[in-house]
Amino acid sequence: MDDSTNKASLREPCVPGLFSEEGEPSLHGARCTCCDTPYFPRVAACRNPGCDESRIVPCTFGGEGRLWSYSVADFPPPPPHRYDKPFMPYAIGVVDLDSGLRVVGQMVDAVEFMQVGSRVRLVIEPIHHEDGRTFTSWKFKLLDR
Amino acid sequence: MSTGLIGGENMQEVVVLGVGMHRFGKTGDAIVGEKSVTELCRHAVDMAMKDAGISWKQVQAVSAASSRFSGGKGWGLNGNDIVEDLGCTGIPVYNLSAGCAAGGNAFNIGYSLVAGGIHDIVLVVGGEVMPKGMIQTSGVEDANDPEYLRQRCVGMPGPAFWATLARRRMFDYGTTETQMAKVTVKARKCSESNPFARFQKAVSLDEVLASPYVSNPLRLFEICPVSNGAAAAVICSKAMARRFTSKPVTVATSTVATIGFDDALPRSLAGPVPSGPSFHTEAKSAVMKAFERSGIGPREISFTELQDNTCYYELAFPEEWGLCEPGEAERLLEAGETAPTGRMPINPSGGFVSFGEATTAMGVFQIAELTWQLRGQAGGRQVPDAKVGLAQTNGLGGNATAAILKR
Repeated sequence: MDDSTNKASLREPCVPGLFSEEGEPSLHGARCTCCDTPYFPRVAACRNPGCDESRIVPCTFGGEGRLWSYSVADFPPPPPHRYDKPFMPYAIGVVDLDSGLRVVGQMVDAVEFMQVGSRVRLVIEPIHHEDGRTFTSWKFKLLDR
Repeated sequence: MSTGLIGGENMQEVVVLGVGMHRFGKTGDAIVGEKSVTELCRHAVDMAMKDAGISWKQVQAVSAASSRFSGGKGWGLNGNDIVEDLGCTGIPVYNLSAGCAAGGNAFNIGYSLVAGGIHDIVLVVGGEVMPKGMIQTSGVEDANDPEYLRQRCVGMPGPAFWATLARRRMFDYGTTETQMAKVTVKARKCSESNPFARFQKAVSLDEVLASPYVSNPLRLFEICPVSNGAAAAVICSKAMARRFTSKPVTVATSTVATIGFDDALPRSLAGPVPSGPSFHTEAKSAVMKAFERSGIGPREISFTELQDNTCYYELAFPEEWGLCEPGEAERLLEAGETAPTGRMPINPSGGFVSFGEATTAMGVFQIAELTWQLRGQAGGRQVPDAKVGLAQTNGLGGNATAAILKR
C-alpha cells in the first residue's frame, strides 16, 4: 500500500453522513421542490413559512460560490471544536453557493488573502488529526489565487 | 389608556417601581469575589425592593432569566433559588430561557402578567456567574444540535458571528476599524461615571487599536467579556403604584421576537441566500413591534440601551430601526451624537463593552439603566431631559427583546 492510499483510507468525516468527497466534494442537503428552498443539513419538512406544501427531496450542494463575508478565529474556539496544536488562526467564510445555499465553513487559504466577493469552491479537507486518524470537514478554497 | 394599539383595551398600565443591581465583575476579583449567583441576585433584589419601597411578602410572582442554549447546555440562574433565599412564600416562579435575551424575556413575562391583570407586583431578576473564556455553546456531542455541528465541523466561536457582520458592513459602507474602535472609546468614557460597571476607566483610541484581535476585524476591547453580575426590577400596575410613588417610570411596551426565515446569517450551518438585506431580523422585529405597540416612533426616543456584544451593533442597529439614516451611524458617532449629550445617545450606561456580559442579567440591567436615566439619577452619564428610553437584547438561538420606558 503506498502512502496516498494509506492516507485516504484513514480520512474520515468529523461528523458522519453530512458530506462526502467521492467524486465531486459535496454537502448532503435537501431542497423543497415546492418553494425551491435549499437545506443543509437535511430536514424532514420544509421550514419556509411561506411555502404552501412541503415537498423535500434529498440533494447535494457543492461547486462554486462567492464569499459573502468572513471572520477569523484568532483564538481556539471552545469544545466541542477540535484542532491540531499549535493552534493556527483560520478564516471562517460565509459563502453563497451558486445553487442558492448560504453556508458557513472554514477557508483553506490564509487570512491575508480574504476578500469579500471572491469566488470560491467547496472542498473536503482535513480539519484535525487524532490517534493517527485524519478528520475532514468541508471548507472553501479561493479560485483566483 | 396608553398601553398600545394591539390588545390594549383591557390591559393594565405597567410601571417600574424599583430597580437594583450588583456591580459587574469577574470571578475572584475585588467586586464579585467568589459570590454565588444567588448572592449576587439577592443584593440586586434587596436594592430593587428598597428602591420600590416594598417588602418581599408583597411580591406576587417572580420572573427569572435563566440561560439555556440548544443541546441542553446552560448554567445561570434558577429563580427558585432566589425565592428560597428570600423565603418560600409559595408564589409562582417563571424561569425563562432565551440565551442572552433571557433578561428581556423575563421582563416581558413579568410585564405581561401585570398588564394582563394576573398579578399586581412582580419581581424580575437576572444574574449570572459565568464560566471563563469564550461561551461554550454546545455541551453535547449530538449531530442533531446545530451548535454542535457548527463548532465541530467549522469552529465558529461567538465573536466570529459579530466579526462576519462587521466585515460585511466594512464592505457595504466602508466602515473602518478606527471607527469601530471609536465606539469603544465612547462607551468606556460613559462607564467612568457608572458605579455598577465592571470597567470604570476610559480608554484611548490607541489603546483600543493596540488590543489584539479576538476575531478579526474585532479586537479585545471591542467585544464584551463574560462577567458575573445581577440586576432586578420590581414592576407593578399603575393603580397599585400610587400607593408607593407619585412618579413611577411607565412601561410603554415590552416585546419579544425570534429570527426570520430569511435572516442574513444562518442560525445553524446554512440557509437560503436572502433576496435582499435581512440583517438581525430578530432584533429589528422586536424593536419594530415595540414602536407599533407603544405608538412611539424612533425619532421620539431620547436614548437607547442596545446589546453591544460588540461595537459593530452600535453602528448597525440604530439605522435599521430608523433612529438615523442608513450609513449615517459612523458620522453621528464621530460627531459625538451618540454620547449622552448628543442627539442620538446610545448606551449611556457604558454598555456591554464596559460591563461585560452576565448573560441573563442584561435585559434587566437595561431596565435599571433606563429607569435611572428617566428619573434623572444617572449622574455623570445622564442624558439631559431623558423622556423615552429604548432597550433591546439579542440572544443565541435567534432571540430578541425590546422595551420602551417613559417618564
